[in-house]
Amino acid sequence: MNDTVRLQTEDFSLDAEVAALCAGSKRIGGIAAFLGCARDFSGEREVREIAFEAYHDMARAELSSLRDEAIARFNLIDARIVHRLGTVSAGENIVLVVAGAEHRAPAFDACRWLIDELKARAPIWKKEITPQGESWVTPHP
Amino acid sequence: MINVLFFGPVAERAGARQVNLDFREGLRWQDVRDTLRARHPEAFEIVSVVAVNGRRVGEQDTPPLADGAEVVFMSAFSGG
Repeated sequence: MNDTVRLQTEDFSLDAEVAALCAGSKRIGGIAAFLGCARDFSGEREVREIAFEAYHDMARAELSSLRDEAIARFNLIDARIVHRLGTVSAGENIVLVVAGAEHRAPAFDACRWLIDELKARAPIWKKEITPQGESWVTPHP
Repeated sequence: MINVLFFGPVAERAGARQVNLDFREGLRWQDVRDTLRARHPEAFEIVSVVAVNGRRVGEQDTPPLADGAEVVFMSAFSGG
């Protein structure tokens, strides 16, 4: 929980992550968060669970680099990234990005940039588990 | 020894998550790819990212691998 970048099997709390962000500085005037959740469908198929797998060391290093880049690029005060691994049931949390800045605009911009870059750069893969079987997800924009 | 790792859809197609190859002087990651692509052509159809010791490499990166190097062949990422 103290780590600002984490890959973990257990669920996380948006409130706890925002509180941890705020605890670090009273200069923060705007916080933007992106919370990714597991849908219970994909196209026409029902999805019961999503299984996540990562090249852990590289993924963690990449998330850490993303955080550093976002702080520098958007002049953030702080940012936190949490991504779950293992099996996540439909409706549960998958990923959380929280960005804190002096004003809302850089917080919004950084949050969008972070989740887009995470999808492109973090070596993480997901497999949808449906009543009909399992299939790895092909990335899309 | 060269430690080769596969993850996700590449591992599923290869039927393995880890392969060890004998080390020899001058071995490059491209040589490792060529050797394993011949064994697991279906897996390598979807390989689009390669990392050596945790760092992404491209075709232009040709320094020889050190003994004990970790080489990872990965498909496009789908996290988030």
